[in-house]
Formats: sequence, structure tokens, C-alpha cells
Amino acid sequence: MEEKITSNDTYLAKWIAKEISDNELQQLISDTDFRTYKKLRDGISIHEQLETPLDTIFENIKEIIKRKKAEKKRQPRVRFLYSKIAFAAAASIALFFSISTFLTNRDLTFQSDFGEHKTIALLDGSEVILNAKSTLKYNEKNWKNNRQIFLKGEAFFKVQKGSAFYVTTDNGTVSVLGTQFNVNTQNNFFEVICYEGKVNVKIDDSDFILTPNKSVRIINGISTEETLTLTTVKPTWILGESSFRSVPLKEVISALEKQFNIQIDVTNIDSTIIFTGAFDNKDVNIALASVFKTVQINYILKNNTVILSK
Amino acid sequence: MIKDLKNICNPLVFENIFNSYAKDVKRFMYFKTKDMSLAEDIVQDTFVKLWEDCKKASYTTIKSFLFTIANNLFLNIIKHGKVVHRHQQGYVHENNNESPEFLYLEQEFLDALEKAIAVLPEKQRVVFLLSRIEKKKYKEIATQLNISVKAVEKRMHYALLTLKEKIGDI
Repeated sequence: MEEKITSNDTYLAKWIAKEISDNELQQLISDTDFRTYKKLRDGISIHEQLETPLDTIFENIKEIIKRKKAEKKRQPRVRFLYSKIAFAAAASIALFFSISTFLTNRDLTFQSDFGEHKTIALLDGSEVILNAKSTLKYNEKNWKNNRQIFLKGEAFFKVQKGSAFYVTTDNGTVSVLGTQFNVNTQNNFFEVICYEGKVNVKIDDSDFILTPNKSVRIINGISTEETLTLTTVKPTWILGESSFRSVPLKEVISALEKQFNIQIDVTNIDSTIIFTGAFDNKDVNIALASVFKTVQINYILKNNTVILSK
Repeated sequence: MIKDLKNICNPLVFENIFNSYAKDVKRFMYFKTKDMSLAEDIVQDTFVKLWEDCKKASYTTIKSFLFTIANNLFLNIIKHGKVVHRHQQGYVHENNNESPEFLYLEQEFLDALEKAIAVLPEKQRVVFLLSRIEKKKYKEIATQLNISVKAVEKRMHYALLTLKEKIGDI
């Protein structure tokens, strides 16, 4: 090896670190070796460049991505037309669906609170007065073809003449053509009183035709048809007084609870006794007195709770 | 969790992919363009494109995906005649103070060189890499390895000798 001629064995290191020049190296070794070393140095240089960490490039990439993101954020202004169309399309689709659901399934629900009466004017001019704590539901879309109302609680109906009018309850269905009547539907109590016109009441498979002053009621599954002597043209509850005629006391208690938003504890008394009478809808103390004094039951009203005892 | 680690749109995963493949893309592009700075430009554009298409790219085929993007970018450049232009002008990057003349070596030469570097005797290889890749001065290497500067220079000298003998005939 030519290199070994010299005693110096560090010159290649010095040359590649540029501590000695090409010319100096050339003096030390043959031309062939010099060319090979030069090629080697070029190769090493490329190897170096290929191996250098690419941190700066990655920083550049992050910078470009950030810039592009910022541009994208501003883009909606540039693409105003497209976004507007897209927005309009989305809005109209949303509108279409909401309208179609609105039209196909537009159930209107009215609910009265404790002690509250609600008067509801229906589309055909019919009128419903809801007694306390009652719910009425009907479908507005089908109203013209199908005058049907779902009722829970008690309500007085003044129905305009027209197609059949149905009041559907858990206890039975009342159908009329044009009349005034009261429907009271509770858990174990159902009563329809006709004030004007003709009312058809269907309870399970039995039909009852009511003419004015007639009523039908079911108490605990037993139905009775009665002729009443009505002193008013409307139910008394509308006039501020709840009246009862031979109903189980628990129905009266339930009406009191709904009217005055109170809790009545019936564990110490017999709530199946029959009650006839009325209570005032305005004053809870007068109402309690008028109900319980007549049946000789003691009561204590405290924090909206009434405790009854014999 | 596993799904997340393969989600290229996750910046950490993206950075990981960059660290794993950027050098490969650069090398691939260097041998196509024979131009180091152009290769780096393509690496940059390739990864920007990957980020933009991160949802389309699949983690398992990411390497070929990157190479495809890079190659397309390269072909676009060729189409615009940029590469030819640069070569004709003997284009030299301003930052490249290593060698004024255009560096161009066959891939086989470089492959052989890298193989030779990899199999250098341990002591020579350490000095060679610290000096050439980490760009440390002989004095710094001497301090780091706790040997004399002379010893460092000797190891470097013999490293170059070894390399020349291994690849001298290519």
C-alpha cells in the first residue's frame, strides 16, 4: 500500500476534514488512489446528505399545513355561491322533513293544571272546557275528516253541527253530531251527561243513546243509565262548583286533589261510601268542610296534605 | 387505541410516518433527480399531500403510497422541464458548500459505500459516523470517547482506507 510509505497515518482524516488540501493529498498518494478517494469523499458527502435528519423539512411541512388550514377557513367567502346552494339545499331538505312530519303527525295536546280550567276552541268552532288536571289531545291534520278527541279527566263539550264528533277515552267512546255534553273519565269512574242534542256513548259493546238530562256512568265496571233533573245548562264545575250525585267518596276526594293540588290520605276511612253534594272550587277550606262535615269525617289540612280520620 | 395508532390524520402518527419514511423518499427522489435539494422539495410536498389525503391513505400500504405521490410529483416536474433545466445550468443549491461541482454518483456506488460503512470495524465506524453524520470535530469526538485527537484521526484515517479497499474497484 502506497499510503504506508509515509509514517503519517492521519492525513486522510485531515484531508476529509479539510485540514489539508487536495493538492497536499495528491503529493502523498498516487493519482489513481487520489481519484478513488475523491469519489469516496463525494459518496460520503451524498451519504451524509441522505442521512441528515429532516427536522427542518418537517418544520416546513407543519408550517405549510398550518397555512393551508388558515386558507381553508377563509375559503367559505370565496366559495360563497356553492356554500349558499349547499346550505339552501340542506335547509330545504330539513324543512321538507319537518313539514312532512308536522303534517302527518300533528297531535295537539292541551293539559290543565291543578285547580285550572282551560277553554279550547277547536277548528270547526266547537268548544271544550277542560276541568282541573285533565288532558285533551287531537290531530289537527285529520280534523276535517275525523273529529276525534282523546280525553283524560273531565271536560265539557259544545260541539258545532257537522260530521261525527268522537270523544275517545279509556272507558269508552262518545259520539255526537252537534250537542253539549260533559265527559268525566277517571280510573274507575266514567260519566257522560248530555245537556243538549243527542249523544251516543259506546262502552265496550253496549251503546247508550243520551238525550238531554240523561246520563250514563260506570263505577267500578258497573254501568247505570239515569235521568237527571239538571238545574243548569252547563256542568256546575264550570260555574265554580263541583257537584256529585251518588258517587263513591274517593272520586270526590280525587276531584278535591285535582282542584286544589293537595294530597288526601284515605287510609283511615272508608272511601267507598256514596257521596252526594258539591264543593266550592275557590276556597280549599270551605270545600273540605262541605265534603267531609256532611259525611262526618275529621280532617286536618297541613302543608297541602289532608289527613282524614273517623 | 390501535385504530388511533393507525390513523394517519393523527399528528403524532403522521410525524412517526415522516420519521420512518422521509429519508427513504428522499433517497428514492435523489436517485431520480440527482439533485439533493429538489429531492428534499419533493419530500416536503409529498408529506403535505399525505396530510391532505390522510383519510384516503391506509397505514399498511403507506410506504408505497408515499413513493407513488413522490413519483407523481417528480413526473410533474419532469413534464415542466425543471429537472433538465437545472441540470443544464449545472444547478447548485446555495446552501451546498460541500462541493461546488455537481454531485452525481451511481446508486450502486452509494449502496456499496453504505454497506461498507456498515461493516467497518466498530472503533472506526463510531468515529466515522460521529465525524461525518453528526458533524463533530475530531477534538469533540476525542473528548466524548475519552481518547486523544491523534487516536481519533488514526481511526478516521483507517476507516477511509478500509472503505477505499472495499469499494475502490467500482
